[in-house]
Amino acid sequence: MAELDEIIHQPLRLRIMAALNVLPVATGLEFARLKKLTGATDGNLGAHIETLARAGYVAVDKAFVGKKPQTTVTATAAGRGAFGRHVATLQEIIAGKQP
Amino acid sequence: MIDSRQASAALSDINDVVHRVRQSQIYQIASLIIIMWGVLVFVGYIANYTWSPQGYAIWLVVDLVGIAGSIGIAAFGGVGRGAGAFAIRLLMAFLLFIAFGIFCSVVLGHFGPRQMLVFWPVFTMLFYALAGLWFGYAFIVIALGSTALIVIGYFYAGPALLLWMAAVHGGALVLGGLWMRRI
Repeated sequence: MAELDEIIHQPLRLRIMAALNVLPVATGLEFARLKKLTGATDGNLGAHIETLARAGYVAVDKAFVGKKPQTTVTATAAGRGAFGRHVATLQEIIAGKQP
Repeated sequence: MIDSRQASAALSDINDVVHRVRQSQIYQIASLIIIMWGVLVFVGYIANYTWSPQGYAIWLVVDLVGIAGSIGIAAFGGVGRGAGAFAIRLLMAFLLFIAFGIFCSVVLGHFGPRQMLVFWPVFTMLFYALAGLWFGYAFIVIALGSTALIVIGYFYAGPALLLWMAAVHGGALVLGGLWMRRI
């Protein structure tokens, strides 16, 4: 029986992973755009990205574009796999294959 | 463990985010194309005003550069972001619209220069408005705003219509594209 991924299952982290997973492999989203797409606040988003990065589900790249710092978040292969399994588990629950 | 209702809510949340990301990607690509067309038509109107006898040649160049640029932006920005199929369908729809416009304005109707000058921008704005029904309200706002300004110019700008069109059609496209990038 598949288990729900407790790291991904938190609502905002689920939204972050959904946003990153829909992009082509190795393509990331800027912090500001990710904030807008997930409807998160700065501090909240930063904390949850940190949790996902510690689990190895996302990679965080900080760079300067001109004089402005820019943070880009990308789903790793492990993150994409975990997200896929999590979604499959949710679908199994809906289909009644899991209690 | 969660129940099926909570699982459905989680999947619905995922679908909502996926829809937002895809719409955002479309806006990013479309806004670049809209800004490019804004600059091109602005230059076209000014050139047409300055060298009136070369009007057809000027607009042929503007259209060819615009179509090539649109394909380039869609291919460069779209394929890399997984939206290539969308871009190709959008381009095909656009080309069908152009063919229909030529049929109406040249074959069925016999529009004079002033009518032609207004028909094409209004007709392409109809395409934007229809696209907006599927891809987001920003397209509809740009289309309706531009069309209203163009029609006002048609009735009230007199001999300065080309300059009016440069400002309102070119300007509206550039500003609309910039606004779309901020959504």
